[in-house]
Amino acid sequence: MAIFRAETAAEAVTPERWRLAGVPALFVHLLRFAKRCALLRRLTISMKQNTIFQAAAIVAAGIILALVANAFASRDRKVSLVGTYPNALKVPAREVPVAPPPVVPPVTQPVVTNTQPSTITAPPTATTSTQPTATAAIETVGINPKAKTPVAPAPVPTTTAAPPPPTREFNAHPDKPYIEIAYNDVKALHDKNVLFLDARRTSVYEQGHIPGARTYSVWESDIDDKVNKLFAERNDQAAQNLPIVIYCSGGDCEDSHMLAQKLWGIQFNNVYVYKDGFPDWQQHGAPVHTGANP
Amino acid sequence: MKRYLTHPWLTIRVQLALGAIFVIAAIPKIADPPSFAHMIYNYRLVPASLINLSALVMPWVELLAGLALILGVWKKAARNLIGILLAVFIIAISINLFRDNAIDCGCFNVADRGKTHEQRIFDMKVDVVRDLGMLLMVAQLWWAGKREEDQL
Repeated sequence: MAIFRAETAAEAVTPERWRLAGVPALFVHLLRFAKRCALLRRLTISMKQNTIFQAAAIVAAGIILALVANAFASRDRKVSLVGTYPNALKVPAREVPVAPPPVVPPVTQPVVTNTQPSTITAPPTATTSTQPTATAAIETVGINPKAKTPVAPAPVPTTTAAPPPPTREFNAHPDKPYIEIAYNDVKALHDKNVLFLDARRTSVYEQGHIPGARTYSVWESDIDDKVNKLFAERNDQAAQNLPIVIYCSGGDCEDSHMLAQKLWGIQFNNVYVYKDGFPDWQQHGAPVHTGANP
Repeated sequence: MKRYLTHPWLTIRVQLALGAIFVIAAIPKIADPPSFAHMIYNYRLVPASLINLSALVMPWVELLAGLALILGVWKKAARNLIGILLAVFIIAISINLFRDNAIDCGCFNVADRGKTHEQRIFDMKVDVVRDLGMLLMVAQLWWAGKREEDQL
């Protein structure tokens, strides 16, 4: 405070004295500028001893370095400054592993009202093999939306010796961002040369991906460019209603769901998420392609 | 006891160790911001618009604060920053433990290691204990610094 008072007083007097002494106006301005610099230097020195200033300086330096590093980072190491993550504050529901139900042998009991004994088989224990996902709003049912609207959340028996045959229809579903599908449907769509998008990181994609899949990592900075490019490729309604399959690592991976929501937001109305993801594809012994190309 | 706990011999070692830990923790995050952004997203505590910015800035602040401690420059500020960061980490992990939201901490490694729910919950508890230990190191530095000031 004393510095400010002293400086103000000095500034009020000295340039006036100089002007009265016949010093040109330019030199008077230079004198004022020099005095201001001195004040700034003194302030800087006093603030350098201030812990809060030092901490703020470290944070400021961190911000500058972060922005510079991000600007020069490679494509797959760069992030956009502001991301769009719809479920950023929504805690996902926990996926509880369902224990397989005990195998109930057929119960044979005599029916007394009948003259001949008949065999009654106990109904199979119904448990859902599909576990609740983070996006509970999205139904995990068949891929034909017309067929699934009246259907209650019917349980699927866990004792699936042979997987159900794939559904034949892959109609557009503008009311839902995506529909989760399993391997059989994914394989059927892959055989039809449907567009596949890999939502995992590019480095992981290069280690192995579904043949023909394009890399669309939601965490990398160029995701919006890629989505816009896809929109430009499929710029009419008919093309936007063609099926697209998105996958990531399965389990609690949500990258494919996030990408599906992005696509749905720009009118791609026929998007499917491969629920169990790339590990499941590998487990089924399906072909895998490595490298940066689809 | 107080004399030993605030002895310069101990203080300099705590300062170097804490600085080194933060520098080591910062490097993988600086090298791969998208993965770290994913880790921050998994905490479900940061608004969407701040996730990427946090993923970019936080590791650099960790690195600079760690380097400041190692080099002995702006020690108090670096110590305070590290203390604040540790408190934030402890609170964030604890909230997710309370919510039963099993996550990878992302403290030293930003790769998804494919752990089970139980493994992650156990690791989160270990992380809280580890961070509390580091907070004790910060407390030691603060105490030693205060004692040094009192002696002057």
